[in-house]
Amino acid sequence: MGKNWQHQFFYLAIRFGGRRLAYFFLYFVVGYYVLFSRNARRRAAPYLRRRFPNAHGLERLYHCYRLILNFGRVLVDRAVIGIMGPQAFKVTLHGRDRLLSLRDEGKGLLMIGAHVGCWQVAMSALDFMQRPVNMLMRREDGDIDRHYYEHAGIECPYQVIDPTEYLGGTLQMLGALKQGEVVCVMGDRTLGSERSSVEVEFMGGTVELPYSAYKIASTTGTPIVVFFSRKDSSDSYSLHLAEVIRIPEIKGREAQSFIPYVQKFSTALEQYCQQLPYQFFNFFPMWRE
Amino acid sequence: MNTNLDIKTKLKQVLVEELNLEDLTPAQIDDDEALFGEGLGLDSLDAVELVVVVQKHFGVEIKDMEEGRPALQSINTLAAFIEEKQK
Repeated sequence: MGKNWQHQFFYLAIRFGGRRLAYFFLYFVVGYYVLFSRNARRRAAPYLRRRFPNAHGLERLYHCYRLILNFGRVLVDRAVIGIMGPQAFKVTLHGRDRLLSLRDEGKGLLMIGAHVGCWQVAMSALDFMQRPVNMLMRREDGDIDRHYYEHAGIECPYQVIDPTEYLGGTLQMLGALKQGEVVCVMGDRTLGSERSSVEVEFMGGTVELPYSAYKIASTTGTPIVVFFSRKDSSDSYSLHLAEVIRIPEIKGREAQSFIPYVQKFSTALEQYCQQLPYQFFNFFPMWRE
Repeated sequence: MNTNLDIKTKLKQVLVEELNLEDLTPAQIDDDEALFGEGLGLDSLDAVELVVVVQKHFGVEIKDMEEGRPALQSINTLAAFIEEKQK
């Protein structure tokens, strides 16, 4: 969302006035977008219709404003970390001991997150794992907002695995897990072929979610951790371990066998959305309309 | 020590059995046929299974993409890779 010069404007605001100045400008910019950009409203609508089914007209517009305002704040925060350093935010981790014990099983760790809170900030809190962290991610054409490490001009703190690479990056993921490393994937968006997704229930509708990570976990015996980040206050975030999923060995090409496990993720995400309705930032079409 | 021919025969058999390729028999798999995409029609999820199957049945580990990419082209390339690693 937003044009390149608008992003640059906010980067300048952060440099000269800090996070609060950037937040201040956001009220007006987001107000403009919500009132005059049909595209912004259209992209937020599928989620808001389900999360606030009884809201119409001005009330729906208000929810849209709050959702996009929070998204803007997250983008600002991401830039703040890069420009002012990670000490600009307090990041708390819930479930640290559990994560360490899963890591010590020696089969690597698959962390499945979602487009909620600010996952990039959460990733900066994984140093304690003392294992290389890999992230399955694809940068879209025209994706102009930068990651925090790009602002800081430092090397990316995690290894990026591109799902458009040979065999969808699965060989790199397997290789990383064999070394006992951490592999993070987004569980709420399909990146590869249709065969790598299954249909599950999410917020009263049917969505297609990817199950490649679940397949890898089934094949390698790697535990899956569902984790979500959340913005707790203007200068603090937390990372929460929502669910641990263990998948037995499932042979064959039948995707249906993975539905109960993907549904666990979906249910955990729905609980998150009920609790924090304005921190779900998956603006890609998820539901079958 | 398995010969290249033994490896190919066993490979085809475990492919069909472990990947549940129901409409296919080992005899129908051509040695030079591409495993992924056009050809045998396997995909990235099958690749996960295949890597594990190779380790389980042949004791050979495909460590990373550098090794995996050339090895996973066809039955011929995979058999040659396994034979080399078993030496």
